[in-house]
Amino acid sequence: MRPTASSGPQHPPPPDGAPFALIEKGVHGLTLHALNAAARGAGLWRGQAHADACAMLPRLISAPAEQDRDLAALKRLALWAERFSPSVAIDTLMPGFEGLFLDMTGGAHLFGGEAAMLADLRGRLARAGVEAQVAMADTPAAAWALARFSDRAETLAPAGAMREALARLPVEGLRLEAKALALLKKFGLKTIGDLYALPRAGLARRFRGEIGFRVVERLDQALGFSNEALDPERPPPSYRVWTPFAEPVIDMAGVGVHLPGLAEALCGQLSRDGRGARRLRLTGFRVDGRVTLIEAGLSAPAATAAHLIRLLREKGLERLDLGFGIDALMLSAERAEPLEARQARMDEAADLAPPQALAALIDRLQAKLGEPAVRRPAFKESWVPERSEVWAPAGAEPPPAPERDDARLRPILMFEAPEPVQTLAELPDGVPARFIWRRASRRVVKAEGPERLGAEWWTEPASRSERTRDYYRVEDENGRRYWLYREGLYGREDADRSPSWWIAGVFA
Amino acid sequence: MSLTLLAPLPTPDPTLFPGVCEPLEEVGAAEPADAAAAFAFALGRLAGREDIRPVVLVTTGLWLRERGRPFARGLAFWGLGPERLIWIRADKEGEALWALEEALKSGAAAGGLASVEAPPFVATRRLDFAARAGGALGVLLRAGPTGDLSAARRRWRIKAASSSLHQFDPAAPGRVRLQAELVRRRDGPPGAWTLEQDDETGRLGVVAGLAGHGLDATDRQLGTAASAAA
Repeated sequence: MRPTASSGPQHPPPPDGAPFALIEKGVHGLTLHALNAAARGAGLWRGQAHADACAMLPRLISAPAEQDRDLAALKRLALWAERFSPSVAIDTLMPGFEGLFLDMTGGAHLFGGEAAMLADLRGRLARAGVEAQVAMADTPAAAWALARFSDRAETLAPAGAMREALARLPVEGLRLEAKALALLKKFGLKTIGDLYALPRAGLARRFRGEIGFRVVERLDQALGFSNEALDPERPPPSYRVWTPFAEPVIDMAGVGVHLPGLAEALCGQLSRDGRGARRLRLTGFRVDGRVTLIEAGLSAPAATAAHLIRLLREKGLERLDLGFGIDALMLSAERAEPLEARQARMDEAADLAPPQALAALIDRLQAKLGEPAVRRPAFKESWVPERSEVWAPAGAEPPPAPERDDARLRPILMFEAPEPVQTLAELPDGVPARFIWRRASRRVVKAEGPERLGAEWWTEPASRSERTRDYYRVEDENGRRYWLYREGLYGREDADRSPSWWIAGVFA
Repeated sequence: MSLTLLAPLPTPDPTLFPGVCEPLEEVGAAEPADAAAAFAFALGRLAGREDIRPVVLVTTGLWLRERGRPFARGLAFWGLGPERLIWIRADKEGEALWALEEALKSGAAAGGLASVEAPPFVATRRLDFAARAGGALGVLLRAGPTGDLSAARRRWRIKAASSSLHQFDPAAPGRVRLQAELVRRRDGPPGAWTLEQDDETGRLGVVAGLAGHGLDATDRQLGTAASAAA
C-alpha cells in the first residue's frame, strides 16, 4: 500500500490538478522531495533541483517538506490499518517509496476475499482523502513492486504466479540502490523479467562488491525463494476482538452499547486459555483514516467483563475522539498473564473475593488518578532513613516487610528533603536547647539520642562523602516530637564546614 | 432505607472514652502544628480493630510539601504494618474524596483516611454510606478546627501532650500522649481525654492513672468549654 506524499495541514492544499511539490534542502541546494500526479505528468522527478523544475514548469506550487510529520502521518495510518490485520509494518527502506506492509495471511476471507479486501482498503483510504495504490502478492517484495509499478491502482497477483506478475515491471521494483540500477540499465536490463533468463552465478559476479548479491537476494525475495521478515509497528496483541459498524458511530452512546459485547467476547477468549488481561486497549477506527484509543492497566490479571468495562469507563470513554465517526471498534488485551484459579464462593453475596477486590480497587484508582498516584511502600536495607524506604506504584501483592524493626524510634511523617533548622545549644556537640523551624522557636524539653546513622561502608565513595549524622528525638514544651539531626562532627569531620542541623521528620 | 439508619442507639456513658470507631469520623488538629498528632490519632482509630485488610491514606497536593510523606517504618508502631498501607496522592480535593469513597465501598479496605480542607456535606454523607456498605471505617483528617456541616458521627480535636516519664531516662521522651477532645458526637455529650500509647500494642488508651475517672481537673474544664461551644 502506498499513500502519496503528505503535505502539512498548515499549508492550504493546492487546487486540484495543479502541479505541486514538496521541496527539501539538500547538499546541492533545494531539490524536489515529493510530487503530485500533475507535477509528475509535467515531466518533473524526485530529486530534481528546484530551480530546474521551476524553469521547466513556472507554475509549480511548492512547500517545504517535513519528513518527521510525514513519518508521523504514516504511523497514524499504520495504526488505522490494524483494522485489517494485527500485524502492520511501516516501510521506509527506499526514500520516496514509503508505504505500509499488511500481513494478511489467512485473514482476507474476513473481508470477503482478497479482491474485495483490496477494494475495501483502497475505498476507505480514498474516502479519508488518502490516494493509495494497493497490491497483494505472495511475498512482501512482490507486493512492494506491484503496489508501486503496476499500472493499476489495485493489483492482485494470483497465488503461485509471482514470476509472471513481476516480469513486466521495471527493475526499480526490486528496491535496489541507485548504483545497481544504473549498472542494470547499462546492460540493457530494463524489466524484472529480463533478469530471469540470466544465470544466477553470473548475475552475482557481474557486479563489483555487494551489489551483485543484493540483486540476486532481492530477486529471490520477490519470487519467494528467500525469506523476508517484517517488523510490525506494534507487536500484534494476542487477544483481540472487534466489531465493524454498517454506519459510522458518532457518539459515545454508540460506543457504550457495543462495549459490553466486546468485553464479553474478549473475556471468553481469555478465559478459554486461562489467562487474564494486564493491559487493555480500546481502539476506534475513524472514517478519516485515523485511530483513537484509550488504554488501561490492571494490577492483576483479570478476565471479568464487568471489571474491564468499568475500568475503561473510569478511564473515560469521552477521551475517545470520534471525529466524524468510527466504523469499527476493537478491544484488545495487549498483555495477558495466566489467571490463578480461585475457588468460587458458595454464597453469592460477594461477586469478588477480597484479593481480587483489592486488585480491582487499585486498577480503578490508577485508571482515574494515574499509575504513580497509588502507591505502596517498598523497603531497601539502608541506614540512611530517606533512602531506606520508597513509595512504589502499587501492585496487587503487598511488599515484603522490612528486616529491622525500630518503629518506636522512627517518625510517622518524613520530609521529602530535610529542612534546615537554626539551633541554640549549651554544648557545641550536644542537644540543642532551642531550635527555630519554619520561623517558630521551640524549646527542647526532652531529648533522646544521639542515634548515629551514616552511609554504609560498601556504598560508592561519592555517596559516602556525606557526613556523619547524629539523630535526636526531641520534644518541645507543647509535647510535639521531632526528629532532628546534626550533620557533621565538630572539629573532626570536614573542618572548614561547621556542622549543620536539620529536621528529618515528625513524630506523633 | 432511612428506617435502618434510625435504629435506636444505646446511650453511652459519656465519661468513657469511645474506643471503637464509627463508620465516619472527623479528626482535626487543634493547631496546624498538631497535624502529626491528629494523623497518628486517626490511624489509631482505623487500626483499632482486628482486620487484615489494607488501609488507604489519601492526601492532596499540599500534604507532601507541608507535612512530608508517610513513613511506613514509623507507622508500623501505630499498629499498621507496611503490607496494609496504600497511599493515594490526589491532585484535587474532589479526587481525594472520590478515591476514599471508592476504597471504602469496595470492601477491599479496612478503612481509609483522607486529608481534606472543606468537604461538602453531600460528600461526607456519601462517605458515610460507602463506609457502611463496605464494612469499613472512614476518617476525614482536617488541618484546622472544624465547625461546618458534616455527616461524621464524631468529631475530634487533637492536641499533642507532654509524653509520660521515661522508665529509665528522665531526660528522654516517654510514651506518646495526646489530648483528644470529642467536640461533637451524635450519641451523647462531648468529652475530653488524655490518651497514652501502649508501648506493646501501639494502641491509644486512657492514661492509666486516670482510668475510671474519665476526666481530670483540667480536662474537665476543656470538656465543659467544648460542650458550651457545641
